[in-house]
Amino acid sequence: MAGTVIGEGLSIEGDITSDEEVVVQGNLRGKLTSSDAVSIGPTSVVQADIAGQSVSIAGQVTGDVTAPERVDIQAGGRLVGDVKAARFTIADGASFKGAVDMEV
Amino acid sequence: MSQSSVIGAGTIVRGNVEGDGSLEIFGRVEGDVSMGGDVVIGEAGAVRGNVSGEKISVQGAVQGDLRGTDAVLLERGAKVVGDLSAPRIGIANGALVRGTVRTEGEPALSPNKRGAATVLKPTAFAAKPVAKAAPQYAPPPRLADEVDDDDDDEAEDSDEHQAVMLPPARSREKEAERRPPPPVLPSLGKGAKAKKKKHRD
Repeated sequence: MAGTVIGEGLSIEGDITSDEEVVVQGNLRGKLTSSDAVSIGPTSVVQADIAGQSVSIAGQVTGDVTAPERVDIQAGGRLVGDVKAARFTIADGASFKGAVDMEV
Repeated sequence: MSQSSVIGAGTIVRGNVEGDGSLEIFGRVEGDVSMGGDVVIGEAGAVRGNVSGEKISVQGAVQGDLRGTDAVLLERGAKVVGDLSAPRIGIANGALVRGTVRTEGEPALSPNKRGAATVLKPTAFAAKPVAKAAPQYAPPPRLADEVDDDDDDEAEDSDEHQAVMLPPARSREKEAERRPPPPVLPSLGKGAKAKKKKHRD
């Protein structure tokens, strides 16, 4: 099980800093930083800059996303913001608006 | 649908957390926590802020007030600096609390929490001052105890103490009590009677 779960129905306004996996299914406004994987679930609404080892987005995210490993926008996911990652995928059915920096 | 949430041991949240589900905190939260469901603050968990929920159980550290609509339970190892209020409050052996504890329902304390707390403090801690007062005033009351004893049975033995210790009203009574012994003086009277009898004879 993930170290930290922001469940559906939970709202956090502020910063989250973690060194373990973070799963967000609720609402977050602020900043999310983890040195492990970050997963934004389909039910979540996030207005925050996200930094994680790898970031997976299935919900709605507004903010910049940074990951040394990879960023994936799942089908149904929506991201408005810049992405900086070594690998970046956008699934069919996902929506994205922003700049991409793959550190070429 | 509300789902249970977990703030893991390696996670720090700086800001307010609120929701209608339940929450387990094993990491740190620096901000208020307001949940519709149960809140568990685990052994390594720490919260700096007020916590409210249906049932709040604490094994970790909290610096802030705990308000439970159902219960607040402090388990062994809990450290709380703040006020506790809930219809049911449990403080286990080994839990530390510094603050006001009130077993009350939500409605009474919601309007003006601070005011209510200060007003209710005397009653809530009524037991404490009494307990403290006894040892503090212990030295003087020793004399008082003696006085009490005097009242009961040893009246004649410690007449001197009475004279010093008793308030005026009582000392008069004592004096009144003391007078009966003087009638021992009638020993003179006896002699007088005897003399009279002798004279009569």
